[in-house]
Amino acid sequence: MLRCARLVSALGALLVLLCLTVNPRPAQAAGAYVQVFVRAPYLELHTGPGRGYPVFNVVDRDASVDVLKRYTDWFKVRTTSGVEGWVAAHDMEQTVLADGSAFHYDVGDLNAFTSHRFEAGFFFYGDYGGASALSAYGAVFANPNLAAELSVGEFLGKASNGTTVDLGLAHIFYPQARLAPFVMLGTGIVRIEPKATLVQPDDRFEQSAYVGGGVRYYLTRRFFLRGEYKEHIIFTNRNQNQQVDEWKFGFAFFF
Amino acid sequence: MEIRLRILLLTVLLGLSGSLSGCATLHHLFGHDAPAAAAAADEGASTDRSADEDSTPPRVIQPEVERRNVKVPRIKSQDIELGGYIGTLNIEDFGAHRVFGVQAAYHVTEDFFLQAEAGRSKAGRTSFETLSNISLLTDNERWFKYYDMSVGYNFLPGEVFIGRNHAMTSSFYILAGVGATDFGGDSKFTANFGAGYKVLPTDWLAVHVAVEDRVFNSDLLGENKLASNLEAHLGLTVFF
Repeated sequence: MLRCARLVSALGALLVLLCLTVNPRPAQAAGAYVQVFVRAPYLELHTGPGRGYPVFNVVDRDASVDVLKRYTDWFKVRTTSGVEGWVAAHDMEQTVLADGSAFHYDVGDLNAFTSHRFEAGFFFYGDYGGASALSAYGAVFANPNLAAELSVGEFLGKASNGTTVDLGLAHIFYPQARLAPFVMLGTGIVRIEPKATLVQPDDRFEQSAYVGGGVRYYLTRRFFLRGEYKEHIIFTNRNQNQQVDEWKFGFAFFF
Repeated sequence: MEIRLRILLLTVLLGLSGSLSGCATLHHLFGHDAPAAAAAADEGASTDRSADEDSTPPRVIQPEVERRNVKVPRIKSQDIELGGYIGTLNIEDFGAHRVFGVQAAYHVTEDFFLQAEAGRSKAGRTSFETLSNISLLTDNERWFKYYDMSVGYNFLPGEVFIGRNHAMTSSFYILAGVGATDFGGDSKFTANFGAGYKVLPTDWLAVHVAVEDRVFNSDLLGENKLASNLEAHLGLTVFF
């Protein structure tokens, strides 16, 4: 208990020290940041990266600011007089770069949903042959219609638990549509840990193959929902192969 | 007399015609287009001169300054948050014990974020085990290991102040998600939900205080029940 109290007090002291001593990082060399010029009548600087934080400074038209970093839809900028504050992305759209071109922040849209290189997602609802399942996936796109996908999951059931790893291809039929159906084909491995009270059986590693289909629905920005069904055939060393139906639903983002 | 008068008038007329050179009617009559002819002659001469200059190469200014390839620097983003935490986990029937964990979050908007957590704790003994001096679980089975994926929502954003010169942004948040818990020789599908408060001493550092509940169906002690495992932790994360 004494050790715990010491640890907590040491951690607390460290935090207070950090709060009091950590200063803003030293300014980087000139030219390391994007410089933008204000084209609107003025540019508002907020004290924090959120819509509720108050405006404490404004930058006049034609003046320049350095863009230090971005956090979600907010940009931290520094004025020529050294004042630092946060600017909303929609206000930053009113600025121009040094060559006169408009400053653009890509938040993702339906066109990017149609054609992108990578995507990743998490299925927070899943059913793997009656067991609750969790899984995540990542995909690389060769073109807007065809993707290679890797999916890793865990299923937790009454009779057995296990993990699955699937690798396959997905074909998207209408990638330009907001609601885009797709089909899948691939192979994988499954590790099954049967539950037993008297005799503890060994874990089994089996190879599997799957075919399936689903839909993707574009939400906003870089996000979409994804629901799918897979029919797995598990190649067992018994007389009969095992068939497992899997349903899952989740959300994903592309980049 | 009349003839003399006519001669006088004609003489005056002739004299006037000579002096009024701007008169259009008389302009060509008396050879006043001579300057135009002279200009034409000048033009012919200048054509001859340009013909002479064609033989020498024209003087063209060749720019010797190479075009600079301007590379616009990339704006650094800080949407990803990584860190760890330490706290206390109350494992149902097995007492409250220290828990350690790691967490990673991706901030989608200023409001929403996705968070993954993984942690572990070691359960103690139940009251029954203590009183009867028997062990229901092996030492290895007492490890309580979990992971989860959650969706979080920031609300009540604000600022906290230390003295006159230090202001730090802060926010409350709630989160809910699903995951798995490995305990007592079995893995269970687990739902988690909780709330927390975070303070950012700088833009890239956050201090969290959070309370979460991890709920799963347990039949460890013979009957099937919903086990609720409350956790309170203090965390430190860094934004990348």
